[in-house]
Amino acid sequence: MTKITENITALICSLLVLITGAIVVLYTSETGFLLHGWLMIFFSAWAVLTVVRRMNRPLEPKSLEYNDEVIKWGVLGCLFWGIIGFTVGDVLAWQLAYPDLNGDLPWTNFGRIRPIHTTAVIFGFAGNALMSTSFYVVQRTSRARLAGGYLGWLVFGGYNLFVLLAVTGYPLGITQGREYAEPEWYADILLLIVWLGYFWIYMRTLARRTEPHIYVANWYYLAFIVVIAMLHIVNNLVVPFGLEYTKSYSLFSGVQDAMTQWWYGHNAAGFFLTAGFLGMVYYFLPKAANRPIYSYRMSIVGFWGITFLYLWVGSHHLHYTALPDWVQILGMTMSVILIVPSWASVFNAILTLNGAWDKVRTDPAIRFMMVAVLFYGLTTFEGSFMAIKPVNSLSHYTDWTIGHVHAGALGWVAFITFGSMYKMVPWIWKRDGVYSIRLEAWHFWLALTGTFIYVGAMWNSGITQSLMWQTYDGEGNFLYSFMDSVDAMHGYYIARAIGGLLYLIGALIGAYNIYMTVQGPRKAPQQSNNLPVAAGE
Amino acid sequence: MQIEHDKVSGQDTTGHEWDGIKELNTPIPRVVTWSYQLTILFSICYWVLYPAWPYVTDFTRGLTGYSSREEVIDILQSSSNEREVSIATLFSLPIDELAENTAIRKQYETSASVLFADNCGACHGADLEGQTKFPNLKDEAWLWSDLPEEIEATILYGINSGHDEERYAEMTAFGRDEILTKEEISELVAYVQSISGQPHDEALLASGTELFEENCSGCHGDGGEGGLESGAPILTDNFWIYGGDAQTLSDTIWHGRKGVMPSWENRLSKADIRKLALYVYWQSHELEE
Ligand code: HEC
Ligand code: HEC
Ligand code: HEM
Ligand code: HEM
Repeated sequence: MTKITENITALICSLLVLITGAIVVLYTSETGFLLHGWLMIFFSAWAVLTVVRRMNRPLEPKSLEYNDEVIKWGVLGCLFWGIIGFTVGDVLAWQLAYPDLNGDLPWTNFGRIRPIHTTAVIFGFAGNALMSTSFYVVQRTSRARLAGGYLGWLVFGGYNLFVLLAVTGYPLGITQGREYAEPEWYADILLLIVWLGYFWIYMRTLARRTEPHIYVANWYYLAFIVVIAMLHIVNNLVVPFGLEYTKSYSLFSGVQDAMTQWWYGHNAAGFFLTAGFLGMVYYFLPKAANRPIYSYRMSIVGFWGITFLYLWVGSHHLHYTALPDWVQILGMTMSVILIVPSWASVFNAILTLNGAWDKVRTDPAIRFMMVAVLFYGLTTFEGSFMAIKPVNSLSHYTDWTIGHVHAGALGWVAFITFGSMYKMVPWIWKRDGVYSIRLEAWHFWLALTGTFIYVGAMWNSGITQSLMWQTYDGEGNFLYSFMDSVDAMHGYYIARAIGGLLYLIGALIGAYNIYMTVQGPRKAPQQSNNLPVAAGE
Repeated sequence: MQIEHDKVSGQDTTGHEWDGIKELNTPIPRVVTWSYQLTILFSICYWVLYPAWPYVTDFTRGLTGYSSREEVIDILQSSSNEREVSIATLFSLPIDELAENTAIRKQYETSASVLFADNCGACHGADLEGQTKFPNLKDEAWLWSDLPEEIEATILYGINSGHDEERYAEMTAFGRDEILTKEEISELVAYVQSISGQPHDEALLASGTELFEENCSGCHGDGGEGGLESGAPILTDNFWIYGGDAQTLSDTIWHGRKGVMPSWENRLSKADIRKLALYVYWQSHELEE
């Protein structure tokens, strides 16, 4: 794209959002929708002004550097949503221990703020981490400047506008009620457009690459982008009640609807929370440890195994439901096979550290990454185990699932993100290193302790719940009432909330450390031997 | 771009390099291949034995012909024998005789307490002590009598529940319906407080007594001693559904009351309802050895 078409595309896109916002504000009678209309207007007006101001500037010479500006904002978005998401998560944890903390207001009720947590951590924290690191990685491993110029900004801005629309809508009751896909139709359309832009940028940058091959990390990022696009479209096929209303109705019903939802839901875990982050591992781990990837062949076996198998396994979320038996059993067996490529990836990453184990001791960032991979191994083992029907009859509906989720979320997703951020931040801001290794180590130990407490508490409470619910006398009468099992959870819920608090404190220290790194002195300019060859156009 | 030898692993690189990252050409460890084979074999066994793959109009049934629906039916069937024995016991005698039977009480009290906590605890409290607007079921104050068969009828059909056989109980809204004036209501409040042994305004008492006889004793009985025909509570004791303080009493008389106790006939089995009726009775009656 030339600068001119770039400017015009950016202008048209921003204006489209502006007009949509204006129409919403004019025609809707819903408070929530009105708020969202104004948010759209505010954000897009800002974008329009920025574009117009830049148009007046003289054309700059083609840049011979990687485009890292958007990435910096991505880091900021990741930290911002991370802190919000963890805080809300811990509030939820305290609410479960002390239900009176729900504030007795509709807007602060557990049910309405729970999706704020999941959206802020998955889409806000993890999403921004994936977007920013993918832009970083695709440029370095392709030796090409990011394609699309402005488009990168629109993708980043539009994406965060989507997250904002989502989390501000829930307290007001705007939701589709589909887990991890709660935002309503208009926000979904925004995300779709943004995502296609993301895909386009990624493909264009890869197409410009000067390296002969595409590096593994990019396969994973690409799988993540493509599959999420597909899932997002199918899972959000709805009919809006009316264009001036937020409410919509799913195109599917009954068991088909449930299966669509969990086909989406599991692949959100598989491609958002797994594939993208494996991409992160494959770049940042060897780079930080300065070791070659243990086995190129294992990368291939792992990648295709994961990509092929995940798409079959959504039905393990619907064991013992109205879903036909064959769908359940097929999903279960595929989930069992899935352990193999998952663990192949774990070994590939851990064995990459061979010859660099001393760095695990001295460099907390590498320690973050190593522990992340171990937690990935733990979570996938647990997942495949829980997918087996008799085991699932024990774990389903209990806190065991919550423990599994957070072993993956806290131990894997967030750990690999922190590890990568501690490396990437000094690189993109051109600093000598992280502001304080000691604080980094503190962050690591707080996060690890928090995770152990959280996951340990949930395993215990999950098993306790499940045993209490399944204790009958000979005639099939329950021996414990449901309230008995709720009472029995109290101690575990307090422990979980404390674990979450430690995790949050760790993240705050991390954010401070990153802030101080950015504030710190710039590295003396060096001659780098990795420059984009096809920079600019 | 050249193949190098890595000393640590003893493997060659593939010769590719991206931003300084190289890859070793390590062969796939045997254990990975074996694990794939093992898990796939496991899956194939499962597919052969159980329903697993769809085709155009149907799906493969598997050698076992397994169906989770049939499995549930079987389990229910096999435990139903034991249930039937138990149900037969519960209906072998009239309920008032069962209520006084120590063996029956020992057999059912525990499981009935779980049944109560799960279904009734939200309103009446798992300890049966009630809460504002939901009566205590442990005290001596009854709306509809503590005879086991009456309790059973209450649970079956409910109170103001909309069921055809419901127990109907409504306290008239004397103020809102302009039957009594504000002053008269405060006189009645004083009277109700006096008969329930609370401090009250003596000056208002005389006319209060008269008003009560005219308006209230039809349902609440002479002197508020209660009557079990109308579901109107005794007013001379210290047990309150809504409250005995002046403000609440005046609200009750002004706006009237109509509590709802759901009907359980279509939600619980006859046997469970009988157990609950016995349980409620037992909780307010000592075991006679
Ligand atoms: C939704 C709340 C609710 C639930 C659940 C509920 N009850 Fe009640 N129940 C009431 C209310 C309210 C009354 C009093 C109605 C009135 O004020 O006239 C009542 C009255 C009763 C009475 C009559 C007491 C008397 O003094 O005669 C019995 C017995 C009773 N409930 C038993 C049960 C049992 C057993 C269950 C569980 C199967 C149950 N209730 C579940 C609300 C409830
Ligand atoms: C038509 C019958 C009827 C008449 C007449 C009637 N009541 Fe009631 N009253 C009831 C019933 C039934 C209840 C229980 C309502 C419930 O639990 O929902 C009740 C409840 C009450 C209560 C609440 C008791 C508590 O435990 O909180 C008070 C106080 C009361 N009545 C006072 C009066 C007074 C004073 C009058 C005369 C002005 C009166 N009632 C007339 C039927 C009547
Ligand atoms: C401080 C850290 C965190 C705390 C205290 C926390 C707490 C919670 C709580 C209390 C719940 C609700 C559980 C329930 O309904 O029983 C929850 C759900 C969830 N959280 Fe977190 N969380 C934290 C971090 C994260 C992170 C980093 C992620 C993802 C990257 C995450 C993803 C999720 C998901 C996906 C759910 C929904 C689980 C389900 O429905 O099964 N959480 N969290
Ligand atoms: C081999 C890989 C995995 C398998 C086979 C697997 C399997 C499972 C199973 C069986 C459940 C419980 C379903 C239920 O009973 O409702 C589950 C829940 C979940 N898993 Fe995994 N899992 C795997 C990896 C992961 C990873 C790496 C993450 C990332 C964080 C993750 C995130 C989740 C989430 C968020 C849920 C909760 C969904 C919900 O009910 O809201 N899983 N998984």
